[in-house]
Amino acid sequence: MNSMNMSRRRFLQASGIVGGGLVIGFSLTGCSTPKLPVENVAGSFLPNAFIQITPDNVIRFYCPRDEMGQGVTTGLGTLVGEELDVDPRHLDIAFAGPHEAYNNPDIGMQITGGSTSIHAHYTPLRQAAANTRRVLLDAAARDLGVARSSLTTEDGHIVSGGERHPYGKFVATAAKLEVPEDAPMKKATEFRYIGKDRGRLDAVAKSTGTAVYGIDIDVPGMHYAVVRRSPVAGARLKSVDKSAAASMPGVTDVVEISSGVAVVAEKYWQAKTAAARLEPRWEEVPLDKVDTATVKKDYRAAMTGDEGLTKDERGDIEAALSSASESIDNEYWAPYLAHAPMEPMSAVINIKDGQAELWAGTQGPAAAQGLVSRFADIAPENVKVHNTYLGGGFGRRATLTHVIEITQIAKATNKPIHLLWSREDDIRNGVYRPASLMRIKAGIDDKGVVSAWQAKRVGGNITPETLKNMMPGLFPGLGNGTINFMVGISNDLYKGWIVDGSSVEGLGEDYDFPNMQVNHATVEHGVPLTFWRSVGHSFTAFAKESMMDELAEKAGQDPIAFRLANTKDNPKLNNVIRVAGEHMKKMTPRPGRFLGFAAHSSFKTSVAEIAEISVDNGQINVHKVTCVVDCGLAINPDIVKTQMSSAIMFGLTAALYGELDLENGAIKQGNFNDYPMLRMNAAPQVDVVIIDSKEHPTGVGEPGLPPIAPAVANAVYAATGQRLRSLPLKLEA
Amino acid sequence: MIEFTLNGKTVQTDEDPNTPLLWVVRDTFKLKGAKFGCGAGLCGACTMHIDGVASRTCIMPVAAVAGKSITTIEGLGSPENLHPVQAAWVEHSVPQCGYCQSGQIMSAAALLASNPNPTEADVDAAMSGNICRCGCYPQIKAAVMSAAGSLAYNAMKDDARDAEVQA
Repeated sequence: MNSMNMSRRRFLQASGIVGGGLVIGFSLTGCSTPKLPVENVAGSFLPNAFIQITPDNVIRFYCPRDEMGQGVTTGLGTLVGEELDVDPRHLDIAFAGPHEAYNNPDIGMQITGGSTSIHAHYTPLRQAAANTRRVLLDAAARDLGVARSSLTTEDGHIVSGGERHPYGKFVATAAKLEVPEDAPMKKATEFRYIGKDRGRLDAVAKSTGTAVYGIDIDVPGMHYAVVRRSPVAGARLKSVDKSAAASMPGVTDVVEISSGVAVVAEKYWQAKTAAARLEPRWEEVPLDKVDTATVKKDYRAAMTGDEGLTKDERGDIEAALSSASESIDNEYWAPYLAHAPMEPMSAVINIKDGQAELWAGTQGPAAAQGLVSRFADIAPENVKVHNTYLGGGFGRRATLTHVIEITQIAKATNKPIHLLWSREDDIRNGVYRPASLMRIKAGIDDKGVVSAWQAKRVGGNITPETLKNMMPGLFPGLGNGTINFMVGISNDLYKGWIVDGSSVEGLGEDYDFPNMQVNHATVEHGVPLTFWRSVGHSFTAFAKESMMDELAEKAGQDPIAFRLANTKDNPKLNNVIRVAGEHMKKMTPRPGRFLGFAAHSSFKTSVAEIAEISVDNGQINVHKVTCVVDCGLAINPDIVKTQMSSAIMFGLTAALYGELDLENGAIKQGNFNDYPMLRMNAAPQVDVVIIDSKEHPTGVGEPGLPPIAPAVANAVYAATGQRLRSLPLKLEA
Repeated sequence: MIEFTLNGKTVQTDEDPNTPLLWVVRDTFKLKGAKFGCGAGLCGACTMHIDGVASRTCIMPVAAVAGKSITTIEGLGSPENLHPVQAAWVEHSVPQCGYCQSGQIMSAAALLASNPNPTEADVDAAMSGNICRCGCYPQIKAAVMSAAGSLAYNAMKDDARDAEVQA
């Protein structure tokens, strides 16, 4: 029995709302800040933006972060349940609407990503819940006429003498009291829920087809839209004969929008069939002349040339390189990648009488609100955004070009619209993990310690693109001209003045390297770029950990001992490597099986992985991955393990298959036949060891990914003697 | 007019006969559990049972299921009445983003209906048509093996066999 669904029904009944519509109408401070997008329930108590308790004792948690599978509703719900003293299963969890109260404390905006949610909310959310529990105790003491010290709490109830009273009984009094700001929080020894293996709160909904995603929303009068877009990014529509589609059954509109031409019909299949008949022509853009070979050639030129900026350096790199006992100089390649979440981009919008309502699974509901506001020319306070479960995010759902599209379509057609991208749209018209050429020159001294490390990465930067995509939403009132100007400046900044951290993160931070330099040269062709699970680490760790393996061999040391010797200044990573090393020592792979090791820190979390592989007729089979992780306090160890495993599988798909090709500026791949995904028959067994830690929790959504490609590549070397320095990993015959 | 049985109920539709069954079930009959992932029969998110056989409905024109019996995730079980496979999914806390899971569960239920004691290789073969981008494969496999072993599942099979015998 899923108490989440049950309590939501009771909640809606209590509030007299039928059909699930939200009503905005509750202001915390009464001043001119926008109202909190919470449900208006008569007599309910709203001590902060996150917790609402009704007289019927429905305890709602407005979860400020977006659930894309990483378990954030369970994780943050556990924090709230712990301090509020409510079993997390008995919380009614809703996705927060757009409001600055739901900003990510680590990022300063209402965005979910960067493996920050638990790290950012661990203290403030627990404090808010503890404050709430404290004021409920105060209210109960008054209402029951007893001393507060005589009361305790238990799963949403005040306990007084032998009697249990639901929190809801005291909300009228609680609403009149001052909510403290610093009620004492539990000590770790008192935790009932934090630190325990507990099932995910969304497991029942997601196992019964009752979890609602953006694609599932239905509104009366809804029409379906399919968009034809340029195969080459950024090319505007030159011409199209709309009549080819307009005359098809069920088609009501064919409209030009900024990304192409939209066909609107009564049924999805009608829109799709009609849209396929259009033959739009597109303007020429420089990207038309770019193939994958062009990208590689241009990156190579920038690699060998003098241009570039230094991001980090210490010591005297040139002297150290020339005086090294042994040195190695290698290049590494990582291609453009798509996210391919299982749910392609989709949204539903209803614009009527100067009000707009949007449903979409996003990593940034405030940006979504801003985009609708901007493109529908409606004030943000008249734009409601309902976030849903996301059918996969991985960074992709922070870019909301589909929200711009749907707003333009709705405005042009004056209808409620359901926009759905096909899988081909998703792979070909999306935003991508940047391609990278990386070069590392490293030297070891006569003691076998890495004395010199010079790394250079060439490729595009994601930050200007991110600004271009996010600013229109975050600042709906800012003119296009101003935004373009600012994006242009940031572009120039990253090309000529400072290095975009996302382009080189992971290249130089982990090891002691007394002499070190990390350099970058920007080369861009116009392929749209964005965050992709673990961002820069997704390509830098491959280069770094492959090189460390080669250096270890040059130094005549085993991969563990070598890394331990080079992490004296990095105790967290050193410990993870040490523990992984102990596991590796005990492994006795059978004949034909080989081990490879890699370790990497990202998003404040340290991870080491050991891959056990075999090679069969040129095919790399990954049988087992052992993963050691230090993420501070594990809020829910089972979720930590599944997130490590998830990141490993995602990274393994990239390591073994992931590659997008450009042909005349267009992405060639289009569906899972030519952009293959890891399937069950190729999935390794994954064992995760969580380092026991009481430190502040750090991220687990992404850190499991960076080490997998180099761990497999290093195992392939053990198996075959071939060093694979390009992704995806392909053996020479 | 195309007539078929949907979760035990006879239904009719006058949708374009070329419309894939997935869209008829989702948009005409408003059962949203089966999902759209690729439109090419490659990912399994759209899996339903057609006469008990796990099928990719994104490439199955509704005309082709005239007279047949369709079961969707909603017909398999519900939050109040979980099918043993669903119960195993919940016990093993399988889903992450959850979008592929209706399809995974339908494939698993079809496998276990015809092969109550699958080997790991059997599970791989039956389930490798279902992509999970979140990589839940180890948890899915554990849930399938555990559902196979569960008493409730065996009891259900016995009931079904008895019903067949009586019919």
